Amino acid sequence: MLNYLLFIATIGSIYGLLALSLNLIWGGAGMVNLGLAGFFAVGAYASALATTDAHLPIVAGWILALAAGGLAGLVVTLSTTRLREDYLAIVTLGFAEVVRLVAANEVWLTRGTDGISGIPGPWKALLGSDFNAVYLLIVLTILALVFLLMRRIDRSPYGRVLRAIREDAQVAQVAGKPVLRFKAEAFALSAGIAGLAGALYGHFTSYIAPDLFLPLITVYVFLAVAGGGTGRPAGALIGAYLLMVLLESARFLVELVPVISAVQRAALKELIIAVALILVLRLAPGGLLSERVPAAPRLPMEGKS
Amino acid sequence: MSLALQALVNGLISGTLLAVPAIGFTAMFAVLRFPNFSVSGIATLGAFAGYAAYAAGLELIGSLVAAFAVAGLVGLALDRTAHLPLVKQGALPAAIASIASGLVLENVIRLGFGNDLRGFDRPIARDLHVGDIRVSPQQLETMGLALAIMLAVFAALAFTRIGKAMRASADNPELAALKGIRPQRVAMIASFVGMGLVGIGGMLLGLDSSIDPLTGARILLSIFAAAVLGGLGSVPGAVLGAFLIGIAEELSVLVVGSPYRTAVGFLAILVVLTARPRGLLGERAF
Amino acid sequence: MKRVTLRRRTALLSGVAALAAPAVLRAQSDPIKIATLTPLTGAGGPYGPVMAKVAASVVDEVNAAGGVLGRRIQLTSEDDQTNPDAGVRAARKLIDVDKVAAIMGTWASSVTTAVAPLCWESKTFLCTVSGADSITQLPHQGFLVRTQPNSTLQVARSGTFMLSLGAKKIYTMIPQTPFTQTTFDLMGKLVAKAGATHQGLIYDDKKTTYRTEVDQVLRSNPDMIFAAGYTPDTIILLKDLYRAGFKGKIIGFGYAINQKLVDQIGQPEVVEGVYAYSPSPDEGSKAYERVKKATGLANPDPYTCQVYDHVNLVLMAIAQGKAATGVGIKDNIRAVAQGGGTAVDNAVDGLKAIAAGQKVDYSGASGPCDFDDKGDIIDCKFRYDQIKGGKFTLVKIG
Repeated sequence: MLNYLLFIATIGSIYGLLALSLNLIWGGAGMVNLGLAGFFAVGAYASALATTDAHLPIVAGWILALAAGGLAGLVVTLSTTRLREDYLAIVTLGFAEVVRLVAANEVWLTRGTDGISGIPGPWKALLGSDFNAVYLLIVLTILALVFLLMRRIDRSPYGRVLRAIREDAQVAQVAGKPVLRFKAEAFALSAGIAGLAGALYGHFTSYIAPDLFLPLITVYVFLAVAGGGTGRPAGALIGAYLLMVLLESARFLVELVPVISAVQRAALKELIIAVALILVLRLAPGGLLSERVPAAPRLPMEGKS
Repeated sequence: MSLALQALVNGLISGTLLAVPAIGFTAMFAVLRFPNFSVSGIATLGAFAGYAAYAAGLELIGSLVAAFAVAGLVGLALDRTAHLPLVKQGALPAAIASIASGLVLENVIRLGFGNDLRGFDRPIARDLHVGDIRVSPQQLETMGLALAIMLAVFAALAFTRIGKAMRASADNPELAALKGIRPQRVAMIASFVGMGLVGIGGMLLGLDSSIDPLTGARILLSIFAAAVLGGLGSVPGAVLGAFLIGIAEELSVLVVGSPYRTAVGFLAILVVLTARPRGLLGERAF
Repeated sequence: MKRVTLRRRTALLSGVAALAAPAVLRAQSDPIKIATLTPLTGAGGPYGPVMAKVAASVVDEVNAAGGVLGRRIQLTSEDDQTNPDAGVRAARKLIDVDKVAAIMGTWASSVTTAVAPLCWESKTFLCTVSGADSITQLPHQGFLVRTQPNSTLQVARSGTFMLSLGAKKIYTMIPQTPFTQTTFDLMGKLVAKAGATHQGLIYDDKKTTYRTEVDQVLRSNPDMIFAAGYTPDTIILLKDLYRAGFKGKIIGFGYAINQKLVDQIGQPEVVEGVYAYSPSPDEGSKAYERVKKATGLANPDPYTCQVYDHVNLVLMAIAQGKAATGVGIKDNIRAVAQGGGTAVDNAVDGLKAIAAGQKVDYSGASGPCDFDDKGDIIDCKFRYDQIKGGKFTLVKIG
């Protein structure tokens, strides 16, 4: 059980990084990235190849992943930041699919659908069964650093400009802010963080393959950010952990449902997740955390808890 | 050379089929102003509704009507309950909710039908040869149906009152409202017809292959690519985009190999949008 | 500073572990836990559900006959969604929460490769039906066996068969899979030796038509097409080959070209003469008949037969070693699978024999189920069928 909890906590923290990444551009600058899984994959592959084929140290792999994700973000954003958000949504979705295709078909580089196995974990042999706990600590440390950076950005003049762009890009432009540059920077940073998350994932499970990076991951992260609260890093983080709890408890919940086949159980599980996302968006549009932002005081029950 | 010509013909045929759901998607966007990702689930739903009707003994046309009606009604219900209430917060929350409702549909179908493949029991005939080019009589039939549906849509938009109202409120909602067009009604009709067309598209694309809960997910990116290429919200644009994507996907088989088919559509979008950020035909609805 | 936290953390961990230990001891009379991890959704969705179903039927039979070592068997069926990430999370839950002794039935090679390290690290036994060569080369320390012959063997057999049919120009049409490259390399070599030619085309298995692909392939006038995809794409491919008037021979894997495909296409002349080959289930064996009955299928696919064998083998290995653990299964699976003894074809009989102190040698629905040291299956027979009038007729087994 303990190993399972450590495992879920680690994966949850990696989703936390993804949520922070999405929150930066979605909550921060009002841009959307449906290609999150693609940047996640770019980072995972960069670090996996660097540490297996090129035998670089793991830390170098992680830095490389950050850079590769950021670079990919820059490329996508330079051709699309002029687009409206709905175009950006579709283009980024296409980007993730292209990344998956390249990973599956460029066998010489990525080993194709076989995937890359044997990705080293830090001190894995030395730690033995303590590896899960130590790795969780490493991921938590990185998560904390990124979180502090995000909070910093959120409260800095830079963050205010981003929010101004979110509210009205034209006004920001008129106010003399280089909107394109701000957007590109934010998007690249966000993509870099997603890349780093991918690297952390690969070195944890020791295996990556194109099948890992399905659009469903992006849906999960959106659920996390929407649920936790857009626009606040802490909300995104809480959302990511809640998502993990939901994903895993759905597994146990459907076991309680009698007399249905295994397929139906699996369908039911995905159904629960999807319905949860809709309900969160509908009933708690600001997410859990932003709800506390002074709004209409219409919660007479609140004092009771 | 004749290989390329053949690929062109193949692309035209698949482009025609793709045009139907692309029109549905873009028409909804024109009126409702958010990209509705639930088209993947709706296309699957249409395919299964049409399949059930066909298996129950309805003719092809009748089954298409069933696909249209079921997909339209369910799509309308989803728009009303899950997507449109979110549009006032912006296009994105609505779009994300629609991704979720697409997943809901996929899994409801899986709950009911399982993952088994199903196929329409239709005769398979040898191709007809016209010079060097071959076409299949069935594909001509499906293509004819798709063309007829498209014509009907265009005629409805051009000549009926509700069609004109839709175009008016797509171009300028405020002005349309001033003229006494009820935006609520137009939105509902856009949802119903748009989703219905997507459902028909799912069935048309499934007629020749087979259907399962992932049918819609497999064609989602092509539908988007077509609509974006032509200009989101432009019905003629969606048709043009669908033909271009259909042809590009087939030609790509000869040039880069078919695994990169989706990438070709994506590249086409990037190139076109860099030059024309509003798509080939801009965003005027009609 | 960091070291302190680390040490405290470890202390905390061992404390929790100590608390957990008595629970494990107390659990002796609890049920024996095993699991299937098959694709119930995603691309493997057409295959996984039946696999889970047949596993449940074996467990029901054994429980009805009194269980193993006097304990009930509890089977958990998880979904790997044909996706390594979901597979890993499901496996983690099976290993750490359900504490299963064995996980059976992983299908996609990517899922198996992702799940395997968790299994050998936690000493959980893994039985898989994935064919990629690389899987048994993983450092699995004996905690993995597979009943599916690896891709090298499969391709070599199919190539030989094609040549025996007199093929001179073979064209392979295949989606991108872990065995695509192996197939191309191996076919190239094999076919060149026999003085024939081979070409290959990789297609996108999500397309709804393969007309252009077919045109491109037919351009070089092949006399044999190796259609190496899965059922959904192969249906479309066969229809398009028929429409294009292809007159040569077609062969494909039995898991793709099966009764379901024939029913789907619905028109016998489209698939007339098409060959299918697969690792031969032991047809006519009682085990195979039981699989047919449990699944209600006339021709259960090889994966289903293999999972049936996984469950039987695992349960007997547990009884043989008197230990419901991964290590117990690892150390005893070959003792019940091979090496002579009373021939058995199901766990209920096998368990009785083991309880009576006899040695058993299991042969199941998928064949003799003997494994080499790496965990690969030894001596796998293949069967070659041809579709005639919409029915599969046996060409040969060998």
